[in-house]
Amino acid sequence: MDIVLRAAFAFAFIFFLTRIVGRRELSSLEPFDLIMLIVLGDLVQQGVTQSDYSVTGLVLAAGTIALMQVLVSYLSFRFRRLQPLLNGEPIVLVDDGRLLERNLARERLTREEVLEQARQNQIGSFDEIRLAILETSGQISFITKQ
Amino acid sequence: MADAPEGIILARHRDLDGRRWHPWLRRGLLGLVGVVLLLALLDVFGQRPSTTRVDATAATLEISAPDSVRGGLLFQSRFTIETQQALKDATLILGPGWLDGLTVNTVEPSPVNEASSDGRLSLELGHLPAGAKHVLYVEYQVNPTTVGHRTQTVELDDGEQTILSTHQTLTVFP
Repeated sequence: MDIVLRAAFAFAFIFFLTRIVGRRELSSLEPFDLIMLIVLGDLVQQGVTQSDYSVTGLVLAAGTIALMQVLVSYLSFRFRRLQPLLNGEPIVLVDDGRLLERNLARERLTREEVLEQARQNQIGSFDEIRLAILETSGQISFITKQ
Repeated sequence: MADAPEGIILARHRDLDGRRWHPWLRRGLLGLVGVVLLLALLDVFGQRPSTTRVDATAATLEISAPDSVRGGLLFQSRFTIETQQALKDATLILGPGWLDGLTVNTVEPSPVNEASSDGRLSLELGHLPAGAKHVLYVEYQVNPTTVGHRTQTVELDDGEQTILSTHQTLTVFP
């Protein structure tokens, strides 16, 4: 029973952390982020399984996390009002070529980072952008002027 | 002003109507995480040892052991006995709180004898002359599933006579 509770707590805590750190930290996977991801995974594993090396322990921990994941996605699907809480909401960063500084500051994003993302989408300047939207995944989607 | 694509409500997603307080909630929750980390730095979750000293006419007992530990941690408890009078048959008796849910890796120096005394662990140390200093190290590991508070009683006897006793509380965090 203990390992199920630990896995459930680990899932809830990591979910909570990812919701409060903001999308900026989650949107990219730089080398440092990749290393931190592995370190975090190792820390979580130690807290969940501790000195349990059994296959039963693996089944319980992985099963719990899988079920929690399904539960969260079901809640988000079934109760639309929970979506902002569970998944977050998109936020407009550029409106008709105009950078919305307040919205950028809210997500700790810089003008240069938005420009970098724009260039990766073959967009050379803000003037070409009708809307730039920071999605709940942390990716920025661009809708260009025709 | 740009027309909004489907699923985007400009009032909410651009002008942040009804969402202005969200960053403060996020900062508040991050602050809570920070408070937990601060408490950890202040040793709330273990495992810095604290020292308890009990004086009696015949001997003094000093216990150095953590008040808080976490599942799986290795830690040490140190019992220092200083005698003012000779103890013919010094015996240190540890209550169940020193053993239950903990793995004792080693006790050094090994006692002359070990026995159960009303459910407690009786460590016979033998003869301790007046002015002697006897240090007993007990090395532990917390069993990963152990959680909660436990009272740890210690008694120093000379044969059938109780010289001194004390107790402390150990908190085990998950």
